Amino acid sequence: MSDKKPLLSFNDVHVEVEGKEVVRGVTLTINAGETHAIMGPNGSGKSSLSQALMGHPSYAITRGEAFLKGESILDMDPDERSRAGLFLAFQYPLAIPGVTVANFMRSALQSHRGKDADMSDFRKLFKAEMNALGIDHVFATRYLNEGFSGGEKKRIEILQMAMLQPSVAILDETDSGLDIDALKTVAEGINRFHNDNNGILLVTHYQRLLNYVKPDYVHVMKAGHLVKSGGPELALELEDRGYDWVVGEEENQKVEV
Amino acid sequence: MATNTTTDNPIRELNSPALERGPLWIRDLRKASLESFNTTPVPPRGLHLWRYTDPEKFLLKNDVIDTAFGEHFDQAEEVELKHFEDGTLAGLVIDNGGRQIDVRLSGDLAQMGVVVMPLSEAIESHRELVEKHLYQTVNNTTGKFEAMNGALWNDGIFVYIPDNKTVERPIHLLREAGRANSAAFPRLLVVVGQNAEVTLVDEYAGGAPSTEDGFAYCNAVVELIGGQDSRTRYISLQRQGQGTISYLTHRARIAKGATMLTVPFAFGGSISKQNFGVNLNGEGANSKMVGLLFGTGRQHFDNHTMHHHSVGQTFSDIDFKVVLRDKARSAYTGLIRIDHSAKTCEAYQENRNLLLNRGTRAETIPELEILNEDVSCSHGATVGPLDEMEVFYLMARGIAREEAVRMIVSGYVRSTITMAPEDLQERLSAVIADRLGDL
Repeated sequence: MSDKKPLLSFNDVHVEVEGKEVVRGVTLTINAGETHAIMGPNGSGKSSLSQALMGHPSYAITRGEAFLKGESILDMDPDERSRAGLFLAFQYPLAIPGVTVANFMRSALQSHRGKDADMSDFRKLFKAEMNALGIDHVFATRYLNEGFSGGEKKRIEILQMAMLQPSVAILDETDSGLDIDALKTVAEGINRFHNDNNGILLVTHYQRLLNYVKPDYVHVMKAGHLVKSGGPELALELEDRGYDWVVGEEENQKVEV
Repeated sequence: MATNTTTDNPIRELNSPALERGPLWIRDLRKASLESFNTTPVPPRGLHLWRYTDPEKFLLKNDVIDTAFGEHFDQAEEVELKHFEDGTLAGLVIDNGGRQIDVRLSGDLAQMGVVVMPLSEAIESHRELVEKHLYQTVNNTTGKFEAMNGALWNDGIFVYIPDNKTVERPIHLLREAGRANSAAFPRLLVVVGQNAEVTLVDEYAGGAPSTEDGFAYCNAVVELIGGQDSRTRYISLQRQGQGTISYLTHRARIAKGATMLTVPFAFGGSISKQNFGVNLNGEGANSKMVGLLFGTGRQHFDNHTMHHHSVGQTFSDIDFKVVLRDKARSAYTGLIRIDHSAKTCEAYQENRNLLLNRGTRAETIPELEILNEDVSCSHGATVGPLDEMEVFYLMARGIAREEAVRMIVSGYVRSTITMAPEDLQERLSAVIADRLGDL
């Protein structure tokens, strides 16, 4: 598999939050063009892993390595990780009163392009992406996530992903709180974004998003470990049988894909 | 006790020419104020509203002279002159420490009967109105330092909006305090007639830019009268130099059905003590205060707001925000007073304090004096650092920490800045950007 280009790879990653180890040695590689899904029950550590990879100040990676396009990200601040090409769609996007979606988006894109980079295409790009996601243009001048519904917040997260074009997007419970129409729109956004040059990591409790965004690989996380890996059929099996049947015999296995 | 706490440098030693200004009835009022100042003890530190600031700081020292005024020097003057010339403003008053007061008023305002003039002139030309309202809401009984202004105001500004007249564009008052070792005593009297409407920007600029050459001193008084069903927006912008000791007492009284929006911005001064109060004096009166204080360096702020409901079915709301960085300090005391007879009132108050670094200090003291039970009241206060989750969220999009903090703070103050007229918002945002510039 040497022709595959690893984008995000992490090895034996341990994560602590408030002194408690919640991720206990997880290893995974996401290559260009791949979509992975990590599924697991509540409290399995899958969201903690996502937050820690992005550099959340309360989630410390205490052991292991993580590389983005071959470069270690562990010493990078969250903004550096973002500019290096990592993206996290938040499960609970924060409201920032007084900062409009457009200003925020412009600042983010400017940060990615560089301080003095040309931004004359911003409005056109921004409008096109809003249109594609069915986001009313009035959202551009609204304050970021303030008073937005769950579905609106998730669409705005996908909008950010589309604008920033990361190499790897981690989508943390992006399907939660969405009705079926919003779910479809968001899934279309993800599919439109995905290409042979980027990778996606879906973190989800339910498999319903996977009806619309087809993963190449599905991993099951329990108690801080990846306990089972397989193809998309694994998600269906989980949907049928729940998480309890997945036993821990494959704990700490190294997923080679 | 009263004798030994009386100031040891009474004003008469300064022999201020202000005491001899005006017609006899004004001179009598000045003398009564002087007497009151000289015989009123310096408030003890434990006394209400003096717990956080040393009152001695507001006594004029003998080396302070009241003549250290020069040419206009504040850069805001140029901007506001342009705003007047292009028609954004309906009026512009440039008050150089009371020595010289230049009034510019658009022609339509004069036609409407709107009066904007130096107080010294209004005393002669609009004696009835002035006599009826001057010293009515702020006077000798308000406090020692209010009596000091009552004695020594150099000159002031008088604004009158006749009944049923709407002034659509703002009137801007730019008051410049003097440089080091000067003292200024600005005074403002505003009378808004029945069903009249006006937006006033009352800007306090100038002063000593630093304490290197000594302090500048400014003691201001503002009296506003809102007639029945009147609508007043009053913006107070304190951005004096950081070598200025600044004191301001504001009182408004609004009648039945009147609305008053008071928007204090406190940015300037070395020590700044401000007291904003609105008396709701008629059914249906509605007062809203939306304030913002941003302290840097070693600035010391002591702000007080008061809503006094003396009549039932009145509504008040306060949202006072504080941002502090470096070693700045702020004490905010917010009083809601509802009289026994004032039933079915609503009164709300919120004070949020954002501390950008360790070493800052904010006190927040809500005070409720509610003398009947048939009211709806709430107050809230928070003191805390930036929300690190918000910072993380912006950083996760590639925005560097300093920029993320600037965005969050600028957003936090946004809802207050938008209370000001549009033409002023740009300058206000620039002040905020400047204060966040070297984070």
